Amino acid sequence: MLERFFSRGFDLARAHKRLVLIFVALVTAGSVFGLSLIRYEGSVDLMLPPDKDVARSMQFLRDSSLSDKVIISLALTKPDRDKKDLFAAVDQLAATLEPPLFSKVTSGVSMADAMDEFSVLQYGPQILTEDELRSLDAQITGPSVETKLKQIYLQTFRPESVFTASLSRTDPLGIKTVLYGKLKALPSSMGYDVVVEDGRFLSRDGRHALLIVQTTVPMMDATRSKELVRILEEKIRQLPDYVSADVIGGHLHTVSNEQAIKRDIAVATVVASVGFILLFLFVFRDVRAFFVILFPLLAVVWAVIVVALIEGTLSYLVIGFGTAIVGISDFGLIVYIAMKRGTESSQMGKLGKLVFMDAITTIFSFAVLIFSEIRGYQQLAVFSIVCLVICLLFSLFVLPLTLSWKRFTLVPDPTIGDRLKKVHWPVKSTLGVWAILTTALLVLSFSVRFDSDVKKLDGSAPAVFKAEQNFHEAWGGKTNQAILVVTGRNFEEAMEANDRVYREAIKALGKEEFTSLALFWPSEKSRKENRDRWDRFWKEGRERKLKKLIREKSAAYGFSDRAFAPFFEGLYSRQSDSSHPGGLIAHLQERFVVNRDGECRIMSFFPDEQRNIDALRPLTQKHPSFIVSGRALSASISHFTIREMYFLAPLAVLFNLVLTWLFFRNWKETLIALVPLLTGVVWLLGIMSLFGMSLNVVNIIAGVIASGVIVDYGLGITYEYRNNLHFGTVMAMTLSAASNVIGAGALLFARHPALYSTGVAMVISMVAGYLSSVLVVPSFCSLMAPAAKEKTS
Amino acid sequence: MMIIAKRIMMRLLTLTLTLCVLVQAGVVFADDKNRTTAQQQNDLSSLLNSIGKKVSDFTSLKTDFTQEKDMAMFKEKLVLKGRIYLQKPGKIAWHVDAPVRYSVLITDTVIRQWDEDTNKVQELSLAKNPIFQNVLNQLTVWFSGEYGSLLAINEVRVKQNDPLVLEFVPLEKNISKKVIKSITITFRDDQKYLKQILIREVNGDMTTITFSNTQLNVPLDKASFEVKG
Repeated sequence: MLERFFSRGFDLARAHKRLVLIFVALVTAGSVFGLSLIRYEGSVDLMLPPDKDVARSMQFLRDSSLSDKVIISLALTKPDRDKKDLFAAVDQLAATLEPPLFSKVTSGVSMADAMDEFSVLQYGPQILTEDELRSLDAQITGPSVETKLKQIYLQTFRPESVFTASLSRTDPLGIKTVLYGKLKALPSSMGYDVVVEDGRFLSRDGRHALLIVQTTVPMMDATRSKELVRILEEKIRQLPDYVSADVIGGHLHTVSNEQAIKRDIAVATVVASVGFILLFLFVFRDVRAFFVILFPLLAVVWAVIVVALIEGTLSYLVIGFGTAIVGISDFGLIVYIAMKRGTESSQMGKLGKLVFMDAITTIFSFAVLIFSEIRGYQQLAVFSIVCLVICLLFSLFVLPLTLSWKRFTLVPDPTIGDRLKKVHWPVKSTLGVWAILTTALLVLSFSVRFDSDVKKLDGSAPAVFKAEQNFHEAWGGKTNQAILVVTGRNFEEAMEANDRVYREAIKALGKEEFTSLALFWPSEKSRKENRDRWDRFWKEGRERKLKKLIREKSAAYGFSDRAFAPFFEGLYSRQSDSSHPGGLIAHLQERFVVNRDGECRIMSFFPDEQRNIDALRPLTQKHPSFIVSGRALSASISHFTIREMYFLAPLAVLFNLVLTWLFFRNWKETLIALVPLLTGVVWLLGIMSLFGMSLNVVNIIAGVIASGVIVDYGLGITYEYRNNLHFGTVMAMTLSAASNVIGAGALLFARHPALYSTGVAMVISMVAGYLSSVLVVPSFCSLMAPAAKEKTS
Repeated sequence: MMIIAKRIMMRLLTLTLTLCVLVQAGVVFADDKNRTTAQQQNDLSSLLNSIGKKVSDFTSLKTDFTQEKDMAMFKEKLVLKGRIYLQKPGKIAWHVDAPVRYSVLITDTVIRQWDEDTNKVQELSLAKNPIFQNVLNQLTVWFSGEYGSLLAINEVRVKQNDPLVLEFVPLEKNISKKVIKSITITFRDDQKYLKQILIREVNGDMTTITFSNTQLNVPLDKASFEVKG
């Protein structure tokens, strides 16, 4: 039935040759135009598992204030320039960063406001806890007060007292020491090792200044990110020559990755096309062989449009794999060689059946990916299947139309490929070497590592990483931080939850390890409780007692009667909220608080280590909160991918097994036909292990794609040898393998690590698969009795 | 702090030579009625900076000082006597000899201090005490004569020419505005070092530091930078 269908189809196409060719040309032209209208995605998010934690973490990072910020570190490059020059450059740059691209530029905080915000009598009552007041109470004794007064007296001999001595008048008990203890974590809470001078962020060496730029451009928006980076670079070029700038931000990675992938795709396409053309022209010496290359390329263009219509957007990574698929679809090659060998129109049905079976096995290899939960894998499956179906149709119904022209008919060459088929290798030695190598690589394959760190698939240019390295050298902050996110329906609800989480978190990790807004600025409820407690504390006789003690002890050090009057006069006369708009507290809130979609989220930071994650995990069960951790993210990806592979790999084997059996209806032939598949997979894992390479979320797909191709090799060659056919399959497979390796090998020129690792995986699999199909499969076939005899017996 | 001390040296010389050049050139800022205040500020800034860049030739400084504090906190004026040692690059020692003995050594990374009352040496990391570092930075600016950078945040006036007296009044954006009303610097007759710094606080307190027996480029022994008494 299949043979009849293909035979009729071919006849129909030939009868309407002109119409078919015009149709193909028009659709292709439309598709090429459509390429510019499609929305492409450059991120690897699509390749990440839809695990709840992973998705929430990625979503959070995208929505958080961390993702729409760009940090600019300005450095003085000339030794004769100083902070004044640096600050002038900061102001110059800040003034040019205007809406709509830049919504806010922060170059520092007002320390004058900070002095008010964090003054003992303004800040202390709001922040001091019950325990801290208890220890303050213990200091309101004769000896303790005497010691404090002596300290204040001695402090006046220190150089810094020129500025600070009079501040002691509002702090006879040294409450500022408790407050400084809390504020000591402030610099690290900013995320950088930063000091503030003249209201600007300055590095410890005094040679770098910092600009925090909030943009309206989401990090993942490649088009607008490009515009943002271009404008930033333009503004930076206008800076004085004594200043250099390093720009840090996710936008740069988005832009740089897109550029790298585009460049790699262009290079791979050129390398593959040149390779194919040279190979085909050298072997066939026939310009019509060009159509064998052209139609798979057209299939990719058509498939891009079809899949974009289905999916809405299309990943650059998926299209990148399309370049490899160009090399994979060898149906045209089989048709071309068969026709070159003089296959008649009457035999087109049989040829169609063979090509169809080839296509079906390949398609099912990709179809397995539809069962994956990873959206990128599903998109790749759809893209590949569409691409292969279009390729199949082109090969069977369009390609033959282009091979015979009125004036230049195809000159048949019935012997083409025969020499290749006649090459015979010693059966036992061939099988022995194959068995030894495969066993050795099988052993090695068990120790292949899976690298779940998606950061290693970041193909940003070295300049992007160099800027980050410069930044960390100047500002620190290289230690990876995980985030504990507390959520609430509104700001105050989240703040209250954050207070509770903070109290428990410091018990679990210690104060040093956990940086929370609650440490500097708790919820309004907590602050009110603290204020009320402070008032009660002093009104319960301690104010009177302290005054009396100071009167008794101060004479020895020459203190005046009104020395500490500002403290007592200010005990109850504070503002309810000391934060200033644009002040340090407001700035801190900006760093710690994120409002999105009617939900308030408050972040706390801690070192991204497993023991910390384990210690804090129980808190996320008790409170509305979750953890965002690069380490946990990697672990989830690793766990998920391995679980998927445990499911998908057997499914792929099952599909191939069933299809191959359906084709041969014979277990021996089925198993022989699957030898290249087994070899390709085992050699890929073994060689990667041998050279210390790791599997990752991308090259695993490449392996699956390659296995979809090499299964064809086994099938076609087993079929040809067992049935003593003369379609030129060995020649077709050899050329197919060569073109596949050129296609995949072109990716070895890629700079993007995802595409490069794809190339490596595909080249290894295909070379192994091809060698085993032309050397091992015929050897196994020769050990068996001829098929005809078997059938007779 | 090494860098700070280095800058202190450079700025001191810069300032001194700048002022020498200015006086020799007959440029008198306060008397130039034709210029606007902004122009005066610009001229002062550019001159101080441009001359300062050419100067950097002393390696050590030794001076006695007397600090008088007239503070509402104390019944009587508090008078301190002591010494300051500066060694290029990066060391400054502040020794108080009376009424109590106290020493502090400031380097680019740590502060070591000692007082006779506790007789203990305390060491602080500057990196871990940003607030303290900020205060010290402010202080060293005033001590060192690093005035070029202060023009942006202070109103500067030449109060007197012979001896030269400069007054700095913090502008609104200056963090010191909350505490400091003005700082007046009086230079020695030969203008090679400061003669006096007068700090007026917003609350009426006043601190005067007077320098005497100042010597430049003298060999400083190790003991000058020992903080233990």
